[in-house]
Amino acid sequence: MTITNHPLPEAAFTELAEGGGGPATMRRLGDAQRSKHLMLLHAVAEAATGPETGPAAFRAGYTQLARIQDTAPGAAAWLLGLPHLGGWLHDTLIRLDQGTAADFGHFACLVAAAAIRAGLPVNLDVPVQDGRVRLPGLGSLLVASGKSWVRLRGDGKRVTVGDEFAAEARLLGPDDGTRAGPAGWSGTPAIRAAGGGLTWTVLLETGDPYLDRYTLQMRTAMSAGEVADWRERVRSAWQIVAGRHRWAAEPMADVISVIVPLTPRSDTDLISATTPAAYGAIATSWPPDEVTLAETLVHEFQHVKLCGLLDMVPLASSGDQRVYAPWRQDPRPAGGLLQGVYAHLGIARFWQAQQHAETDPDGQLRAQVLFARWRPAIGETVQTLLETGSLTPAGVRFAERLRAQGQQLMSAPVPAGAAQIAAEVSLDHRLTWQLRHVAADTAGVAGLADAYQRGKPCPGGARIWLREDVRKVDSGLRSRLLNLRYLEPTRYRALRADGVLPLSEADRLLLERNSEAAVQAYRSRITGSADPQPDAWIGLALALRQLPPWLASRADPLSLASWFT
Amino acid sequence: MTSQEKDIETAIPDLRDIPVNRLAELGSSALAHSIALYRERLRENGIPLSSFQARI
Repeated sequence: MTITNHPLPEAAFTELAEGGGGPATMRRLGDAQRSKHLMLLHAVAEAATGPETGPAAFRAGYTQLARIQDTAPGAAAWLLGLPHLGGWLHDTLIRLDQGTAADFGHFACLVAAAAIRAGLPVNLDVPVQDGRVRLPGLGSLLVASGKSWVRLRGDGKRVTVGDEFAAEARLLGPDDGTRAGPAGWSGTPAIRAAGGGLTWTVLLETGDPYLDRYTLQMRTAMSAGEVADWRERVRSAWQIVAGRHRWAAEPMADVISVIVPLTPRSDTDLISATTPAAYGAIATSWPPDEVTLAETLVHEFQHVKLCGLLDMVPLASSGDQRVYAPWRQDPRPAGGLLQGVYAHLGIARFWQAQQHAETDPDGQLRAQVLFARWRPAIGETVQTLLETGSLTPAGVRFAERLRAQGQQLMSAPVPAGAAQIAAEVSLDHRLTWQLRHVAADTAGVAGLADAYQRGKPCPGGARIWLREDVRKVDSGLRSRLLNLRYLEPTRYRALRADGVLPLSEADRLLLERNSEAAVQAYRSRITGSADPQPDAWIGLALALRQLPPWLASRADPLSLASWFT
Repeated sequence: MTSQEKDIETAIPDLRDIPVNRLAELGSSALAHSIALYRERLRENGIPLSSFQARI
């Protein structure tokens, strides 16, 4: 028996590189993921030896899966495409590599779920964890006896677990909120969302330990009210995605089967994530509104697609070099930058369309600024990425396609006010990053200072290199307010009206766009302090940028700035 | 054949039509090689996580 690798037509690669991907391309990614899961399953099978209950349950599940593949290929395909299976496989392989105990028995739960869902016979020993038998993709059932293993049997119509649970197989499914399940059964919350003639069914996973794998913990034990809130928000967001962002909605409905709600560290943090270990799952904390969730879905779906492609075609080599990413506070490796710029192409497209869909002025401003902010970041970041030299030949082709898409966005009109805010927050982000993470050669800096003081021409920059958090920049409040102006204009206005924010006089003047006075205030802070005052230098750059060119060129601090350039 | 009609070589073996209980018959084939490569990547890089934080 011989095998070949999954083919990927150049046309499908191009579709993905341009940020899209139609149904045929999504099918290719999905097929490759199912093969990847089979491949990893085989690796686990080779390790699942010995007489213990766990490996024995795995082997029984493996045999059962072979039968399902033979008799019900659709049920096997469902199982092999489950993000839950991917999560478990990756954790199991890591545990095997690290020599720690692998949870082999969980595979029996996965196979049992596929059999029950398809109405197939099943007869497996399954583990009980935290008093429940988990059936990934369906839900979990309560086992009150305290046993650690139970026998799960089904004839296709009825399922029994030991002597303590019995129910019709068709009732052991996700909970769509329309009916109560059998006693002891907790269906995984399911959300059916419809919009623009397109239906999306997605699970809200709050119990599977192998999908609790993000930087923040999974939100477990949700109340019925919380689940209802999530349902409503997802449905509202889907109306937006399906109604206005069709390019993303159609493939998303096919690929994304799970949302993992995350527990944020604070009420003002929105965290979202994806992992190549769980293709088809998107994780996010509670989004503040439906437009934000719609953006998050588009953003994270871009990551999911790229994860699928990266499994098939390596685009970047792992390297130690870290560089600037316009959306992150920390320096990023090439792989992270590639993921980020791909996501931001989706984000820029989202806001491009959204600016025409918003009806109230605050919503329009937010959309316009976010579009104006992210569209130039595509080309700039692709250039940074190419300069790292970390891309494979396929990665270079991918990046060039991506850059061309970014260039196309640059021709769309944006109101001047929104463009100005976007340029300002972009500059603030870049300067803050540079001052935080760029170290300079002390002797080189001394040479510059000496030349300046003697009135000599600038001898060229000092040697610089990246060192994370080399200096503290205390401008967090100002940066937040600069962003709050368009992200939450109402809150911004309320905070500014209160007058209780601990802003410096210079920052207050900058936010009031009293630019000339702000320049003088920052200048006084810099010249009046023996400390470097990096936040004041950033403020000075922002204030100078606000000035009309003729006024800016008259201002005194520019003599230093122009001397440097 | 135009460049868009060409196939790109990928790193994932096509196992769609192979039952799990016959995967072992592939022995030390391309499958074993693909598994070794994938596990090496996992060992070297861990599982990358795209995580985005927006302060709102």
